Amino acid sequence: MSANAASSKDHKVKEPQPGQPMYGCEHVGRLFNQDQATINMSIQHYKTILRALFDINPMVPQTAKGMDGQVVTSLTPTYLCLQCPSTLTEEDLSKHGNKKSHRFYVESRSGALYCQMCDDIVWDPTFEDLRLKKLGTGSFFGSRKRKHEELFAPDPVKDTPQYISTNTTLATCKANGLRGIYNAGATCYQNVVLQSFLHNPILRNFYLSDGHQSSSCDTPHCLSCAMDDMFQEFYASETTNGYTAANILSGFWISEKKAFENLVANKEQDAHEFFQFMAEELHERNGDGKRPEIGSEHTCNCIIHQTYYGKLQTSTTCQNCGGVTNQAQSFLDLSVPLENLTQKRGKKSLANGDGPARSQTSVTLQECLDEEYIKSDKCEYRCQNCNSVQQARRQTSIKKLPNVLSIQLKRFEFKQGRNDRAQKIETPVQFPLQLNMLPYTTRARTQDLKNEYELQRSCTYDLLCVVVHVGDMDTGHYISYCRVGDQWFAFNDHKVELAQKSDVLNAKAYLLFYIVRSLS
Amino acid sequence: MSSDGDRTGKAGIVVAPEDVGSMDKLAYSVVDDLLYNILHDLVLKVHQDEKTARMRTAAIKVEKLAMENSDLSTPDARPEIVVETDAALYKDGHVTLKGNPLKTTKEILCPRCQLPRLLHPTDGKGAQKPDPNTTYCKRHPYIEKPGFDIYGQTWVQPGPGRGKKKKDMEKKMDPNDPAAVAAMEGSAKDRPPNVLSFPSATCSKCKRCILVTRLNNHMGSCIGNSGRNASRAAAQKISNGGSNGGSQNNDNTPPASQKGTPVPTSRATSPRKRDGDEYDEDGDEADPISAKKKKLKPTALPKKVILKTKSSTPTLKKDKIKTSSMLSVEQSVDDDDIKNSTVQVVPKKTTPAKGASPVKKLKIGLGTKPQFSAPGKKLGKKEKDHETESTGTMSSPPH
Repeated sequence: MSANAASSKDHKVKEPQPGQPMYGCEHVGRLFNQDQATINMSIQHYKTILRALFDINPMVPQTAKGMDGQVVTSLTPTYLCLQCPSTLTEEDLSKHGNKKSHRFYVESRSGALYCQMCDDIVWDPTFEDLRLKKLGTGSFFGSRKRKHEELFAPDPVKDTPQYISTNTTLATCKANGLRGIYNAGATCYQNVVLQSFLHNPILRNFYLSDGHQSSSCDTPHCLSCAMDDMFQEFYASETTNGYTAANILSGFWISEKKAFENLVANKEQDAHEFFQFMAEELHERNGDGKRPEIGSEHTCNCIIHQTYYGKLQTSTTCQNCGGVTNQAQSFLDLSVPLENLTQKRGKKSLANGDGPARSQTSVTLQECLDEEYIKSDKCEYRCQNCNSVQQARRQTSIKKLPNVLSIQLKRFEFKQGRNDRAQKIETPVQFPLQLNMLPYTTRARTQDLKNEYELQRSCTYDLLCVVVHVGDMDTGHYISYCRVGDQWFAFNDHKVELAQKSDVLNAKAYLLFYIVRSLS
Repeated sequence: MSSDGDRTGKAGIVVAPEDVGSMDKLAYSVVDDLLYNILHDLVLKVHQDEKTARMRTAAIKVEKLAMENSDLSTPDARPEIVVETDAALYKDGHVTLKGNPLKTTKEILCPRCQLPRLLHPTDGKGAQKPDPNTTYCKRHPYIEKPGFDIYGQTWVQPGPGRGKKKKDMEKKMDPNDPAAVAAMEGSAKDRPPNVLSFPSATCSKCKRCILVTRLNNHMGSCIGNSGRNASRAAAQKISNGGSNGGSQNNDNTPPASQKGTPVPTSRATSPRKRDGDEYDEDGDEADPISAKKKKLKPTALPKKVILKTKSSTPTLKKDKIKTSSMLSVEQSVDDDDIKNSTVQVVPKKTTPAKGASPVKKLKIGLGTKPQFSAPGKKLGKKEKDHETESTGTMSSPPH
């Protein structure tokens, strides 16, 4: 691990920041004020403990040796001594402390520091930085984080406090990005997508750090400029009234690309299609200008690609010769069909005699993903080796996970035969607040990654935004839930209300946005 | 398990009955331990948020004090002074804590504006009256109150001229909804400040001011209708006939309320009436045919137009009222309502004498009124007012 290389160097206590005490408590301060050797040892030990907590089997840190020599493994938190390699149960803490005069312990569930003299958890800036880095990126020099920082490359001149304070007007504390957007006449499908952009931390940082300045952009009716203006309005203005997304709307109407095929007048449209339209537009305004070709492995450094795009790999195995062809393809979102699974469920519950309760059967998001990205299906394909059309097994997995994973649950299914009309599938889909995407990756296909805790953590996603469609196929309404910090909010056009986690999780989601934990 | 042999885990909430086997006891204690962990994590999170906020508050306070005591006006040069409070010590240009900030520090200062944070919402669930003598940080706890948003705001109910037709309103009015009642009571003047009305926005193409709820409709025809697409859209309009009724059909309108519209027949029989019909739609959409648009462009002022409405609309109203005695009640309320009503009336009034359209418009108004006021006889004054408003927005003139 790269942290070992740094161990020869002296560790530093975090520089004092204005408005923040230098140490978590007096006692940590005393610890850090002894000498460099103590600082080195404390920080080194803390790192070792964090690695033990998060990178190996949790059985180990959860196992404590009692004062009477009895070994106990517990589900509840244990405490790891910062000054010696002991692991203790909560009951034995004071005994160990009194005997050895060791006063600092690391709590095993979170890695937080406990100070025995305060008899409290302390949040020390130095230790807390290490903990967050470890939790976020899996290492103390996280690659993902670094990548993210490169995206907003620090400028040595412009990052000095003086430069910042003289060149910025501090946004008011009231501006927090929580505003509704007025419905301009059946535009709720736009509002929900815009809200999902507004509460996406990556896009927010991009636009608020002048990633695309509307003042220096010459493109008329540029949608990225409209986004820039909108982010300014949401995060810099004190207004709490709803926002009128007039620029977005006119950019949308003016755009060369028609977002929807039958954009006649003011019909309700599909939020997912609008999301794709916006992503494409913003890519063109910010990216390499190339149109993303559908099906190709298009890579680009634009903000949209950095945020939403991942890669899928489809492996086709010939049943005759066993030859494998791989094909990669970039994706903006994962579309998950519900119909097959719903029908299967329906049959099953009928067979079990559950009968009419069929409509109540629900599926989980993970089951849907299993169906798409773990199981394989049969297909016919022309094998290069056999030089003939052969039966083959085709399997799709995720080669590269995006920073923000957008999932569309295909609730609007086009059914053939039934007057060729699309139908809405109302099956409730249970989705988690925390999603582990590791099983669906290409890597998980070839290796057993059960004990790769670091990798698992880097594939953990937190729910960020849920778009819900209420009503039936032809007419209905979109609302959305977005998370800001730990608080959920319900957005219904211009109205913003507090939401409970249970409201969010019980919603019949249509679009789901997950953000990778290391960035959230 | 640490609690092996016991009947419960660390939390002591899930307790096994006395007479169960050891596996059952184990299961109980596992569930109890897991419950403990959930609570532990929640408490830890809250603890972190709260303690970090108090830590910072202690630091901000002592730093402020240090700045006040130092003569140096430059904030960068760290004053070589020592300041002490109950919670923290400022020395050598940095802050160290004294004791546990959870005990020493009672309030929370905003790290950005350094003003005290309001800790309870001002309304709704868990509300407490804030101290009127304190200036608080502008970031307030969010309000949780049915019918109101997180800032305690509510909106004027959509009504005639505000995005909804009168017919739909009657069905939807829920007297039990406190927000709806608050929003319906009185008009702009005596409306409480937290009841907001829908704003207007400027169309980027024709620079006219459009009520937000009609913006999409407007842009669809103003922008979407220009150039090549115009003919296509027009063709579609014709082929769809009255059922589409132009863009009049806001999607909010349930199909039921569209059925009574006698447009198709009138269109089929008399082309002249269709003209009138289109003008009327224009009034609704603020989307006149292109020839008229050209005339309007120079006179149309963005946003400021709203102000004109107040002065100019009463004349229109009076005209109408003269011909319809039934509506000569409560003219003042009329005027108030007009402020929030169709802004679309404005373009018409900016060119009062220019085209033939105002005349036509007036005729239409006259023609429409009896039809719509008939069911309104039973209703109160307020509903009548809405009717007058709605005449401007109704299409389908039955002559």
